[in-house]
Amino acid sequence: MHPPAGPAASPGPAAPPAGAELLRWQWQEVQVPCLVAAWILVASLAKIVFHLSRKVTSIVPESCLLILLGLGLGGIVLAVAKKAKYQLEPNMFFLFLLPPIVLDSGYFMPSRLFFDNIGAILTYAVVGTLWNSFTTGTALWGLHQAGLMDPGVEAGLMDFLLFGSLISAVDPVAVLAVFEEVHVNETLFIIVFGESLLNDAVTVVLYKVFNSFVELGPAHIHATDYVKGVASFFLVSLGGTAVGLLFAFLLALITRFTKRVRIIEPLFVFLLAYVAYLAAEMVSLSAILAVTFCGICCKKYVEANISQKSRTTVKYTMKTLASSSETIIFMFLGMSAVDTSKWAWDTALVLGTLLFILLFRAVGVVLQTYVLNRFRLIPLDRIDQVVMSYGGLRGAVAFALVILLDRDKVKAKDYFVATTIVVVFFTVIVQGLTIKPLVTWLKVKRSDHHKPTLNEELHEHAFDHILAAVEDIVGHHGYHYWRDKWEQFDKRYLSQLLMRKSAYRLRDEIWDVYYKLNIRDAISFVDQGGHVLSAAKLALPSMPSRTSMSESSVTNLLRESGSGACLDLQVIDTVRSRRDKEDAAMHHVLRGSLYKPRRRYKASYSRHFISPDKQERQDKEIFRQNMKRRLETFKSTKHNICSSKSKARMKEKGRKKKDISLTSDAPNGRTHRSVPWQEAAPVLVMVSSEEEESDSSETEREDDEGIVFIARATDEVLQGKATPGRHRHSRTQQGSCLASSSFLHLQSKADLGCAKPVVCAKVSGVWLGELLFSVALEAQQSLLGGSCTPGLAAKALVWWQSLLAGLRERAGAMQYPPLSFLLCPQAAWMSAPAPASSRHRPPWQRRSCRGKETRLTWLFTSPRRPPKSCQWICRKRGTKASPPWRASPPHRASRRDRSTGDSPAPCWRSSPSRRARRCRSRSPASSSPATSLRAAGR
Amino acid sequence: GRQWQELPPGKRKKGERGSGFTSEQIEHLHRRFRQLSRDQLTIRKENFDSIPDLEFNPIRAKIVHAFFDKRNLRQESSGLADEINFEDFLTIMSYFRPIEMNMDEEQLDRFRKEKLKFLFHMYDSDHDGKITLQEYRNVVEELLSGNPHLEKESARSIADGAMMEAASICGPDQVYEGITFEDFLKMWQGIDIETKMHVRFLNMETIAHCY
Repeated sequence: MHPPAGPAASPGPAAPPAGAELLRWQWQEVQVPCLVAAWILVASLAKIVFHLSRKVTSIVPESCLLILLGLGLGGIVLAVAKKAKYQLEPNMFFLFLLPPIVLDSGYFMPSRLFFDNIGAILTYAVVGTLWNSFTTGTALWGLHQAGLMDPGVEAGLMDFLLFGSLISAVDPVAVLAVFEEVHVNETLFIIVFGESLLNDAVTVVLYKVFNSFVELGPAHIHATDYVKGVASFFLVSLGGTAVGLLFAFLLALITRFTKRVRIIEPLFVFLLAYVAYLAAEMVSLSAILAVTFCGICCKKYVEANISQKSRTTVKYTMKTLASSSETIIFMFLGMSAVDTSKWAWDTALVLGTLLFILLFRAVGVVLQTYVLNRFRLIPLDRIDQVVMSYGGLRGAVAFALVILLDRDKVKAKDYFVATTIVVVFFTVIVQGLTIKPLVTWLKVKRSDHHKPTLNEELHEHAFDHILAAVEDIVGHHGYHYWRDKWEQFDKRYLSQLLMRKSAYRLRDEIWDVYYKLNIRDAISFVDQGGHVLSAAKLALPSMPSRTSMSESSVTNLLRESGSGACLDLQVIDTVRSRRDKEDAAMHHVLRGSLYKPRRRYKASYSRHFISPDKQERQDKEIFRQNMKRRLETFKSTKHNICSSKSKARMKEKGRKKKDISLTSDAPNGRTHRSVPWQEAAPVLVMVSSEEEESDSSETEREDDEGIVFIARATDEVLQGKATPGRHRHSRTQQGSCLASSSFLHLQSKADLGCAKPVVCAKVSGVWLGELLFSVALEAQQSLLGGSCTPGLAAKALVWWQSLLAGLRERAGAMQYPPLSFLLCPQAAWMSAPAPASSRHRPPWQRRSCRGKETRLTWLFTSPRRPPKSCQWICRKRGTKASPPWRASPPHRASRRDRSTGDSPAPCWRSSPSRRARRCRSRSPASSSPATSLRAAGR
Repeated sequence: GRQWQELPPGKRKKGERGSGFTSEQIEHLHRRFRQLSRDQLTIRKENFDSIPDLEFNPIRAKIVHAFFDKRNLRQESSGLADEINFEDFLTIMSYFRPIEMNMDEEQLDRFRKEKLKFLFHMYDSDHDGKITLQEYRNVVEELLSGNPHLEKESARSIADGAMMEAASICGPDQVYEGITFEDFLKMWQGIDIETKMHVRFLNMETIAHCY
């Protein structure tokens, strides 16, 4: 019998089948990647743990914590494995861990700032590093000569210079890790950080030169070797830069043609930058310089070429890689320190090194700054100098270099290793811990994180041009002159060569800022809108939080509704026609009432389920509309908004517009209207409730971007009314025009997001007569029945609306009760004029003040469960009605009310009649059929 | 040199005091002035046409304009001068002096204001103390004129957006007609312009004996 052939049954020809093997232990094969993944995981988890406590991370830099963690882990490994494992290997460090960090810092380097300060950066990087290494090396040698060191330290001048060269370089990883948390001003940061990046060339050259000198032995060094050393400095630094520029050029050129393969666009950025690093490393040029300049120079073109999504991908991938590299570097630094086999302690050497690097760094900074300040436009003051000296942190580069030393050639390697570890730990932990308090104590100018504004961008460009012009006029070819020349060259040749045609055309910094701001506005508009909806914040004028909210919303609203012709900031609050306000308030009621059923569909409306494509399109659409609207606003005459819409919009919203124009020349029945709408503010209180907020604010915000705008607009109106003291300003005709136009615009914007609420909103503007009573009832019934979907409801409303529009024309001067009475009697009642003094506040307001929002909308949304507040109102009013939710729905009640006037009226019934009574007494001439009807019913 | 003697010593002293330049700087500037004016005592607008590098400057007209703006020349009247003499030239140049180490807060503030005023005057082309929307649009259009692919409409909408922003920064309690200088200052709050309106050339020598 042959066993059945199968992969599970054939373990391989080599292994004698001692029975079929189910599983095989393959640790050897996965060991390396598995360990790598495990360490990354450990480091990342540690990061999470650190950030659990805000207090700790605000005081202790992350790098310190990671080093300490590494020490701890190293101790554990040592205790378990009995020997130190998992050290920071120089090869791993230079080939895998360092490049992401350097690429990240180069790519996201603020290039303008960098080149503005390039003089200072280069000085500190080159002269400063040279100074540091020579002085430190020589001073240590002096210490050794003086016999202060242990005789075991076998080192000559060259050894100490070698050690000085590796210990003196400021480390980009450490500087970045510490300074990112300190937030000193940009100039200071860029100088220290730029120095730490650019000094790599000096460090590499010095290290190599001295290393070869040590290997040769002092006797064999010739004068030509020194010359070679100097020459190799230029070769290494300029060569590294050239490699970087070359690859930046290639990268930009490649991304120009990736239109069809968007998905791998980000890969090119990483690949080419990495290849640049490797190429420079291969020919022993400065790899850090190569990647830095590759990143700095390619960014402009790459960002213009690749898609928005790729940009985001590049950004996040880069940050992730850099951050995890940094984490691993610090953790492994800590772990490497426990390996005592490498250590050889000498107190004098350690203390001497610490003293000298601090001292000479300070001296060097002061001397160089003194010279630089004679040329700098903004001198670096003493405080800056202190921070710069103190911020000279040493890190993993020094450690990796010292590990790379050859023990046979450099006899004192163990001493150097120990000293380097102490120095690195000292600078990262002690200086890292104290630099924040120091910066605070010295009152170093911090960076201000303000949002970029359009004005700033414009003025800066103007400044650039002015300065270039002044240099031209004075006849001096200074910095601005050359920058201007470079920009012209870039615009004419480089950009054309390296950018896509489409990108090049629209390439303009001002325009970019404008575009970004616009998008941001649109998005924040949408987001904030959600708050207006779900939070009760905006409802009460007396609430303190309201002020700030409304301010920002005014700003945004204004921006959104942007008319250039009228910049009245009070436009939102200007007196509008009563109808507008009524529409607005009605809209609120309807919004609150009719919207809810959609929540059943929240999954499909949630942003999480919308494909990102849709989101992007939406952004674009918002932007497009925004732009279009702005242009239209300029074209339109001041008082005739409707007629000047573009054709496309005419087509889209023709129906709606018809409705608007209908309402705008409505019969002059306003004087008789029974509801004084300007006092309708409390309505807003009602439409929000705590539970809604808690359970659905998120989805609502997502769903509902459209309607929100209207809500905001009207809210402003109402608030303005409610607190007349706040808005003292005269209202111009212009303003009112803009206000209404913005209202319309907002509505049109609304139906970008969702069409249905808009329909509702429009319905609110329509009067309803006796003739339409049954129509209304039917629609309402369908809404209340709960069986219909929102889509159906919307359809019903559309149908209803068109019917109304037709009827309206015929109905002429007939006087109709507002739709609100029919749809939502409570709302009307609630919005009855509230007494001015707080003592006489209506109950719902008092209740709201206590933080519990009444909920009015239950009628339309959840017929089964009434809110407590409603019961409360019933109680207060002393009606002996059966609970409203058990009584017949309102339309039935009103029907019954029509027939039998003395039936026990539930609370909602009592409200309109009360309202009606009051209004009648105010305007006895009122002849509204519905009003009189209700009054009779009472 | 020869040119220096042509500048009367009294004027030289005055120039030093008023503008804060060293005598060497003044000498250099005077040489350049003679060069531009073709050895005349005054410079006219046409003289600026002879500077080739200026040609590509998108807001060149505005900048040249600023040289003849009487407000910048610290004259009482407003309007445009037809020609400026060397003293006026120095006055304009002094707007671009870098800050000095020994300046106190008050001086710095004044210094900053002066520089911003220069910019403001450049924008406010009709001399009414307000940057109106139209003026702003003009500036933005000129700034964007370097890019032929951007339409005028976009320049306009950018200007409108910027104006809107200015209006929102400067408080909602007014009908917004334009940016006044106070608003302009407000807009610049928190942004250090120290780097942005200096010409290094004028700082080549220590300014030891200028005050």
